[in-house]
Amino acid sequence: MSDETKERETGDVDEARRDLLKHMGIASMAGAVALTAGSADAEAAVFQEWFQSHYELMSEEEKQECIERLETRYTEEYGKKTTVSNAPALKDVLFGYALDIQKCIGCRTCVHACVKENNQTRYDPEIQWIKVLKMEKGNFSFSEEKLDKGYPETDRLGNFGIQVGGNAYSPVGVSGETERYYEPEKVPEKDSFYFPVQCQQCEKPPCVKACPVRATFREPNGVVVIDYNWCIGCRMCQLACPYEARRFNWGEPNLPPEDMNPKTHYYGNRPRMMGVMEKCTFCLQRTREGRAPACLEACPVGARKFGNLLDPESDVRKILATKKVFRFKEDLNTYPKFFYFMG
Amino acid sequence: MINEKDEKVDVSKRMLFKRAVAAVGVVATAGVAKTLTTAPTDSDKSKNRARYESEARQQERVMLQKRYVVMTDDEKKQMVNEILKNHYQELA
Repeated sequence: MSDETKERETGDVDEARRDLLKHMGIASMAGAVALTAGSADAEAAVFQEWFQSHYELMSEEEKQECIERLETRYTEEYGKKTTVSNAPALKDVLFGYALDIQKCIGCRTCVHACVKENNQTRYDPEIQWIKVLKMEKGNFSFSEEKLDKGYPETDRLGNFGIQVGGNAYSPVGVSGETERYYEPEKVPEKDSFYFPVQCQQCEKPPCVKACPVRATFREPNGVVVIDYNWCIGCRMCQLACPYEARRFNWGEPNLPPEDMNPKTHYYGNRPRMMGVMEKCTFCLQRTREGRAPACLEACPVGARKFGNLLDPESDVRKILATKKVFRFKEDLNTYPKFFYFMG
Repeated sequence: MINEKDEKVDVSKRMLFKRAVAAVGVVATAGVAKTLTTAPTDSDKSKNRARYESEARQQERVMLQKRYVVMTDDEKKQMVNEILKNHYQELA
């Protein structure tokens, strides 16, 4: 007969054991309460976020509820009034970006402006969406000679040549050494040029194809976005992106409240969580309000241009019409909307 | 005066209480253990940094010996046309 059965039958329970159990129970409850005290609302919000649907599939009411929940959580977590916009993509707009590679001095002001604007994690490590690469000039040539050469020429038999795609016989340059560019003493350095790389907002984005849950998709204005709450962190998109433009939150983000930008967008710069992907969105929280991306505003030499590709009078279209332009990894047919040009 | 029936009830109440306390204890202990084990340690942080750095280095390798090809005017026009065509097709 077990002790428990005996106790039940006789009603003879060891007082000391009962007290011990009682105290242990009270202590455990107190411990559990202490652990969650002060963040009950935030915990509840996180719990609800885990079970929310894909944002695009939500009803308007659900979206509103989600936005309010996020605003409440961020406001509580960061101790400042935070807004989360869900402004839709602008109509009749297709964003394009152009960067003057001759003007860029590699100062990385754009990188820091981006980090500040987009609430990236600040340390261990600082996540940067723009990477400025320092490259040897190599045989880089800005000569216009032979610019239109490079195609098979028509001979007496007719034009049976194979289209080689671009001015293959006279590329603008072949880079030599490439290195990540951190703390230069002085910029620009001799015999180097600087090559900022960020999300190219491809028209045919391989990352979107690779996402198994459609957490990342291309919006009608041409910007590829991520639903951070729907992302499962599989990193397939990172593998698929030929530009290495996506960043993964390996750890819990470190964003000090005093550094947090409280003006956010659901698909843009709202604080992310561990285990999700993030990348440049052309600062959609700004561009949807008619403002320029933070990197462009910060550039001290005016190397960056941004505009609507549907408008022939926009900066980007004018650059495409008049300047020497090249794309990064154009051979992959991703149709990047980020163009490099030489002024 | 407590009769036998009341005593039985008391005992079963007591057992129920005991089990409830035990359950709360187990849950709370699991919670505390989880909090302690999932808190990022210094080695986790350095691992995260190393992973991030390793991803960044991949880009350098990709960029090595890359040829940059200037687009001809025809190519630029063709590209803009294709991008716009794709955009309007999508809208339609």
